[in-house]
Amino acid sequence: MTTHSPETREALRAAARWLALVDSGGASEGDLLRLAQWRASSSLHEGAWQKALLLRQRFSGLPGALAMATLDRPDVGRRALLKQALGVAALLPAAWLVSRELPLDAWTADMRTAVGERRQVLLSDGTFVQLNTDSAVDIDLSARRLTLLRGEVAVRVPGNLSLALQVPYGQVALGAGDFSAGELCLRLVDQACRVSVVKGAASLQPLRGPALLLQAGQQASLQAGGVGPVTGLDEWLLGWREGVLRLDDRPLGELLHELRRYRPGVLRWAPELEGLRVTGTFRLDDTDRVLALLAASLPLQVQARTRYWVSLTARENRA
Amino acid sequence: MIDAAPPPEHSLPALYREHRGWLETWLRRRMGNAWDAADLSQDTFLRILASAQPLADIREPRAYLLTVGKRLLSNFHQRRSLERAYLDALAQLPEQHVPSPEQRWVLLETLQALDELLDGLKAPVRKAFLWSQLEGLGYAEIGKRLGVCERSVKRYMAQAYEHCLLAEL
Repeated sequence: MTTHSPETREALRAAARWLALVDSGGASEGDLLRLAQWRASSSLHEGAWQKALLLRQRFSGLPGALAMATLDRPDVGRRALLKQALGVAALLPAAWLVSRELPLDAWTADMRTAVGERRQVLLSDGTFVQLNTDSAVDIDLSARRLTLLRGEVAVRVPGNLSLALQVPYGQVALGAGDFSAGELCLRLVDQACRVSVVKGAASLQPLRGPALLLQAGQQASLQAGGVGPVTGLDEWLLGWREGVLRLDDRPLGELLHELRRYRPGVLRWAPELEGLRVTGTFRLDDTDRVLALLAASLPLQVQARTRYWVSLTARENRA
Repeated sequence: MIDAAPPPEHSLPALYREHRGWLETWLRRRMGNAWDAADLSQDTFLRILASAQPLADIREPRAYLLTVGKRLLSNFHQRRSLERAYLDALAQLPEQHVPSPEQRWVLLETLQALDELLDGLKAPVRKAFLWSQLEGLGYAEIGKRLGVCERSVKRYMAQAYEHCLLAEL
């Protein structure tokens, strides 16, 4: 916040005293003349006086009894004690502050996205990189290496090229030794990286343990200590590359968990909603609209305290 | 590259990921309910996001979060008590005087802002000010109710005006 000059503060104090005098009804002709002179003598004074009048106006026009009962409630005095008990400090002790020269890791990534943002880039060698919401990658083209620092990335490389993808749990080699184009998607989840191979093949090398070759149409979870079971692709989870999520009779909970990633702030829902079934195509560039659609088609309602704080609850059936 | 990553506290997302759960647990123990605790922890991070304090300057994130969180917790109790008093007062009103839902909401927000503005005033000063502003009582009547002379009431009023004007700076 800006600091205000002692003169400004002094002018406000004086305006407060003047207004209290005028309100008393006991101001003399002489008092009013001096007030007029005081106001005229400086724009600072006149400004302070106007602020004081404005303040008084904020209280006028309120329904008196209702406002009085609310603002003059009996427990007001107790709050001061509560504050004391909590040890609320007015200012931060300086000991918590250090110099500003510390680096910010994610900002140094070559490519990053904010929550709700998606980006794509075609590199000079024909490699196509798409970054999903809240993600960051380092790209080192000379070493043909991409490091996924956060979130989710999709990569497509031309047939004659390979690419090493580094994640915290190991490494994924795409398109190595074979001439078909490679395409895959990496997503960091809890203590693992989910690898989905769309085209070609990729070799998964965990930090510890043997490597595993994954073919097109397969996905597996790469963990530091090994590779989890190989399954078929969860196609709908790859839809973000086209900006949509397509669901065919899936639990609402899965969709909400996905949507949450694209929204700044908080999206919460009552647990009993998770089991509702949902079918449809939902565009990721307007998740507010998706929520409105869900509310229109399912027995739930959207409660938005702010754009950044949204709760879904079950809608009561009305006869 | 990953091994060399610096300590992660220095961006808001990192701060959020690292400490939100911990802060929520702390708040839940004091508020006794997970939803309010989640709300308040969210507000805490929003407050930090909106503050001028550079994140990189925070050396002890948890101590910092607690400071902000405690302040919000105190405000939360204040808001709660205000809401309760407001609802009680609404319930007393005869049917035809009850404001529309929209008016009720706007009024509540207005009262919350005024409540914050008045926060910190001593009880007699606050009472004198409210009686004067909301009920239009004269200084003599206020003095009688508080058992003080008119001159003291004038001083109270000046104090209250000053408090509000400086609080708005």
